[in-house]
Amino acid sequence: MKYREADVIVIGGGPAGLAAAIAAREAGADVLLLERESRLGGILKQCIHDGFGLIRYGEKLSGPEYAQRFIDRFHALGIEAMTETFVTKIEKPQPDGTFCLTASSREGMLLLKSSSLVLATGCRERTARQVFLHGSRPAGIFTAGTAQHLINLQGQMPTRRCVILGSGDIGLIMARRLTLEGAEVVGVYEARPRPSGLVRNLHQCLYDFGIPLHLSTTVTRVFGEERVEAAEVCRVDDRMQPVAGTEERIECDSVILSVGLIPENELAESLGVQMDPATRGPAADSSKMTSVPGVFSCGNSFRVFDLVDDVSEDGEQAGRAAAAWSLSAKGRREAEK
Amino acid sequence: MNREIVCITCPNSCLMEVTADEAGQVTGVSGNRCPKGADFAKSEIAHPVRTLCTTVRTVYKDCPVLPVRVDGTVPKEKIRDAMNAIGQITVDRPAGIGDVVLEDLLGLGVNVIVTSGVLQER
Amino acid sequence: MSKLEKIRKKIQALPEGDAMEVTEERGCIVLRGTVKEWNTAVKAGQLAVDQKRYLGVINDIRLEGFDYEAAAAKGKPSLHDDLLEGASPDVLIIGGGITGCSAARELSRHALSVLLVEKGSDVASGASKANGGVIHVGINFGKNSQKHHYNQIGNAMYRQLSEELDVPLEQKGQVMLCCEKWERIPVWFLRQNGKRLGIPGVRYLKRDELRKVEPEIPDFIDGGMYMPIGGITSPYEMTIALAENAVKNGVRIVFDTAVEEMELEPSCRSGAYGEMKHITCVKTNRGRIYPKVIINAAGVHADEIAEMADDRTFTIHPRRGTDIIMDQKAGHLVRTSMAKAPFSILPQDRAQMASGPAARVRLLIRAFNGSSHTKGVGLIHSVHGNMLIGPNAVETPDREDRNTYRKEVEDIIAMQQKLSPDLSAGDVIAYFTGVRAPTYEEDFVVRKGIFTDNILEAAGIQSPGVTAAPAIGADLAKWACESLENLCGKAVLSNPDFDPVRKAPPRLRELSVEERDALIRENPDYGVIVCRCEEISKGEILDALRSGLCVPTVDGIKRRLRPGMGRCQGGFCQPLVMQIIADFLGVPLSEVRKSTPGSVITFGDTKGGREDEI
Repeated sequence: MKYREADVIVIGGGPAGLAAAIAAREAGADVLLLERESRLGGILKQCIHDGFGLIRYGEKLSGPEYAQRFIDRFHALGIEAMTETFVTKIEKPQPDGTFCLTASSREGMLLLKSSSLVLATGCRERTARQVFLHGSRPAGIFTAGTAQHLINLQGQMPTRRCVILGSGDIGLIMARRLTLEGAEVVGVYEARPRPSGLVRNLHQCLYDFGIPLHLSTTVTRVFGEERVEAAEVCRVDDRMQPVAGTEERIECDSVILSVGLIPENELAESLGVQMDPATRGPAADSSKMTSVPGVFSCGNSFRVFDLVDDVSEDGEQAGRAAAAWSLSAKGRREAEK
Repeated sequence: MNREIVCITCPNSCLMEVTADEAGQVTGVSGNRCPKGADFAKSEIAHPVRTLCTTVRTVYKDCPVLPVRVDGTVPKEKIRDAMNAIGQITVDRPAGIGDVVLEDLLGLGVNVIVTSGVLQER
Repeated sequence: MSKLEKIRKKIQALPEGDAMEVTEERGCIVLRGTVKEWNTAVKAGQLAVDQKRYLGVINDIRLEGFDYEAAAAKGKPSLHDDLLEGASPDVLIIGGGITGCSAARELSRHALSVLLVEKGSDVASGASKANGGVIHVGINFGKNSQKHHYNQIGNAMYRQLSEELDVPLEQKGQVMLCCEKWERIPVWFLRQNGKRLGIPGVRYLKRDELRKVEPEIPDFIDGGMYMPIGGITSPYEMTIALAENAVKNGVRIVFDTAVEEMELEPSCRSGAYGEMKHITCVKTNRGRIYPKVIINAAGVHADEIAEMADDRTFTIHPRRGTDIIMDQKAGHLVRTSMAKAPFSILPQDRAQMASGPAARVRLLIRAFNGSSHTKGVGLIHSVHGNMLIGPNAVETPDREDRNTYRKEVEDIIAMQQKLSPDLSAGDVIAYFTGVRAPTYEEDFVVRKGIFTDNILEAAGIQSPGVTAAPAIGADLAKWACESLENLCGKAVLSNPDFDPVRKAPPRLRELSVEERDALIRENPDYGVIVCRCEEISKGEILDALRSGLCVPTVDGIKRRLRPGMGRCQGGFCQPLVMQIIADFLGVPLSEVRKSTPGSVITFGDTKGGREDEI
């Protein structure tokens, strides 16, 4: 079994993790980054639209371009990344405050040790079941992120005619993307009285293409045995309950969901990190350290951000703090010897 | 003529009140938080343009499409034509970020450039 | 007044009584007519039950305005070819649920050609996949019921079966919860019934003692009846394992195949009702099959198959049930399978429920005579560490009504929150509906043909069908062999190559770090995690694709390994699983299906077809 030690281990190679690793390295720490996918960049790999980096670079970059700037810097600093590497377990901190991790990779199981951890594990999308979509369970129900992966990375058309539930930014971006590729987006349905995505995305992704936005309206039911054949949409009242008699059946082959993101914190929870019920991410102090000393949280696993520029900054803060923590811990340990 | 326009230049999404004369010349912009808003408003009244991001086909099985964007803007009404033109491209070399895969798109003086380094990582 | 007259009178006293006709034909009570309320038809069927005098109830009452043709078309495969044309197996099994697959595996002990056809695109496509997987104790079954008979034998078979087939089994018991002290009295009667039925170890545990078994029970619980022989399996994994083992031992399984018609001729045999018939040919959408013996394990369609075979003595009245799966984080809330006793009233319900003595007595009667079909929606620990809650019970004329309904799901959650106050709707990760296949007698119909000499019926298999299936399968196999011996006049030999063992491919997540490391070194794909929620590697997915019963669909892989069953519900891994399947089969991504041939996931390349738009 391969064994490796580092001052700081960063889990996740998306925008938060990359920024954290770079900042920690620049602060003088020996850094190891673990990424479960085969390439660095996280979700930015599939976010081919532009608008990233306006604050940081004053440029309108696409997701992969924005990620590449960090990846280039990451490699220039000589930081080690282990890709296709999945952390299976983190032991509770040892008496000396160090962390022992187990990870799965193509080369076998890895045993890893560090003085501090940065959790940058990103978020996942809420699913059809979590928004209590009912009816049948045919093919053709996708989260916006899944549809985005299929279309932008695998070059596959997930739909010809769809409805989109939820007005989150990914849903709006996907409405435009699908339209550009020749699909028909019948409408975007949002259960709340206000859209949840950025106003500019309503304009450049929906109104530019004549796609209607229906507020206080939700998708209540899916029809179709093998593939989606139709969706039932329905007005909802101010308590978000469907209003009887307002049901409308819309013929379509897909229902695409953009109904919110949830920070992924399974590893944090296994470490006993205290969670903040409001953000669904870890509670953390101003240095981004969680309730478990030496464990730092950043990016969308800390809380869901609107802008990647802010995610990068969040990652940098966590990286710097993790480096400082591990370097001082190292100093302490050496002094004790 | 008075028009409300939302600036799409940055996430602030400023809602602007734009006044223009009979000839379509912008005479006043308010509600914008930066000068970019005024520029956008003028362009939107005179001749709306958009950036365009999409993918092109490749010959590589493990990476069937490659993200690209137009390095300038495309008139709004030409977006569909631009998509059709870009849809004809097949990349058969390991092109990297910034590489041009289609020059002078539709004679608009803009190029289609690669935005992902995926083919060079292979 | 004759018994028939009495039944007729009772039925005609129902709200739409005039619309229903009651006759006696070939030893069965037959009901016909058209009604406006489905519940009336169901009620009539229930009133017609008289197991002492009649073979069963044939209830052909239809619901006005219900599109029977559309409903029938729903579950039919769209495929048509002649793959099976001319096939002449010794035994044809209709239905690849847990019953059909148990029979297939039992038959594979013999040197026979066995063909199993399933109309879905995988085994366990119906009720076998959509249930809680409880290995039942069966304390409230009647002593003479088939449910009791097969449940008891099946329960005892499960440990060995699970070991042979490498399927998870948890034997932590079953708990029936009571809220008030007086409920210990009916529990005492139930325990006596348990003794009579030969069920060992049943005892009443007071709250504190019960908390050693179920630590999270709320304070208002007085205690519960603890039944140690209860357990939990994974019903679809068991079905898959049975099928894989059957295939390994020579059974042929063909999916997307529905039986459409049968050809019969007079038989030389006669039975209790005169001359019998003999099935010569079974027509399917994939060709005509000429089997010697037919096993009807068609689940919710079993009465339709029996009708084709002219051997129908029963009616399946579909009863929908929805189950909800909660995140593994909520898994600690239940360790066994528990439900409140059918006669128990939760403190939250006392106010609105008729709790007078008469109502209590009615509840008690229902609890004891087995007519309490809902089994009091329960909390079930799954073998994968999730908590499953449900199911409810709704009568429906639609055999394929696997929809879920907002109100029902909300009701199930609200009801279970009373028993498990820490249960949160936010922990729901999935819910699904299955359709039970009860007869009006509410008992299994496992028997040889009465009117037709070469059919065996395994109908009315609902709860405790998962528990009973191995025992039913054994009987079906035994009878099939007897039939073959009678028909052909020669002894059925045993299969010299029969191997009862099916080894599940390794589940990396469950191994020690050292074992896992060693496997990855042999096959690096075991190191690449595809499903992050359930920690499934690419190597495990490829193992499933290489198994003897390859079902190269997203759902097929999901059922075998669980990618897509976790909290992200496939959001991350579905495109990756699709790619692995496409690469394995050497087909474009657009040819990968969710499950059935029509369950298209993508419509081809983004840039494809654009040329002709220009």
